[in-house]
Amino acid sequence: MIIKIILAFFGSIFPAILFNIDRRKIFLAGLCGAIGWAIYQLLFYFTQSPIIASFFGAIAIGIYSESLARIIKTPAFGFLIPGIFPLVPGYKAYTALRHIVENNLSAALDKGILTLAVAGSIGFGIMFSTAIFKMIFSGKRVKRI
Amino acid sequence: MDIKEVAEIATAAGEILLRNGAEAYRVEETIKKICNSYGYEGECISNSTGIFISVITPDGHMVTSVKRINQRDVDLYRIERINSFSRDLINNPLSYEEAKKVLKDIYNAPNFSLGVRIFAASMTAFVYTLFFNGTVLDALVSAIISIGIYYVLDKLSKAGMFQFLLYYLSGLIIGAVSLGLQLLIPQINMDNVITGAIIVLLPGVAFTNGIKDILYGDYVSGSAKLSEAILIIVAMGVGIATALSLLLKWI
Repeated sequence: MIIKIILAFFGSIFPAILFNIDRRKIFLAGLCGAIGWAIYQLLFYFTQSPIIASFFGAIAIGIYSESLARIIKTPAFGFLIPGIFPLVPGYKAYTALRHIVENNLSAALDKGILTLAVAGSIGFGIMFSTAIFKMIFSGKRVKRI
Repeated sequence: MDIKEVAEIATAAGEILLRNGAEAYRVEETIKKICNSYGYEGECISNSTGIFISVITPDGHMVTSVKRINQRDVDLYRIERINSFSRDLINNPLSYEEAKKVLKDIYNAPNFSLGVRIFAASMTAFVYTLFFNGTVLDALVSAIISIGIYYVLDKLSKAGMFQFLLYYLSGLIIGAVSLGLQLLIPQINMDNVITGAIIVLLPGVAFTNGIKDILYGDYVSGSAKLSEAILIIVAMGVGIATALSLLLKWI
């Protein structure tokens, strides 16, 4: 399991290089992916549900990147994008596709809906944490102006 | 500074942001900030294919500028530079020439070289094949495939090829090559190779930014980005499915 967290760390660093991230933030971006995956694994262990685990993993990534964005004054999605890479349901999507090719449509529907649910829960997790941060900080910004 | 010059600077900054995959609210906020820091009022609408800017003087004069964006990429570094550029302008309004020069610098900022990016793409495939329980051999094959795919994609997208076709072809190549290699070397598991290789192509940025745009109320921009993400996924999936269904029947 530790190995998977280390892999998630590297799995966030290399996509970040493809997106031309600032060289000084490569390590922090990798940490984002590792934290997200650690939370995912923890919740998957307790609930056995990939949907709930992805939701909380995405919330953790959102909180990490939004708070880091405020600390070092940089756009949040420089950490958000590399961080969600380990959570993206690539394997599930491919399995659904494989079932379609093999003409096994009920299994494909099963996997396809699971893929959509996981992708949606990642989206909602990010939305959730971003919305909370926006709510807290937008009040302050109005006062400052 | 002249109102026309302000409009030019704001348009150039917005163009760099939008071209490199920023969210709509960030583009609008940045342009407003730039206009405000020169003492004008700015109004801006941005969707993912273009920006409309009006710069308004206190006595009601108005200059409007429209910019159409054709190519979209993802570049976190340039977005960050523009972000800090617009923040600095509030405290320290640069002259027209200076601002122009800074924007040009950002526009021509260094990318990672093609070699480094290809290495990163192959390592991404390598890591994710291991991540999804593949063996080291699967991971190596997947890395080699994604070197080829990334190189071809880079060259073809510069030649201005149609996006759907580009991703369809990548899917086709990934599917065909992995299936072929599995037949040659039976130790390879095709499914693991494919899941590793497609990770590089997944539109994670379009997806998350689309969601963020919708959350901030930019429904046009957000749904455009989400449909772009869905188009890419479907194109890639159809490509892989074509390769697999044709070859599996044929063999």
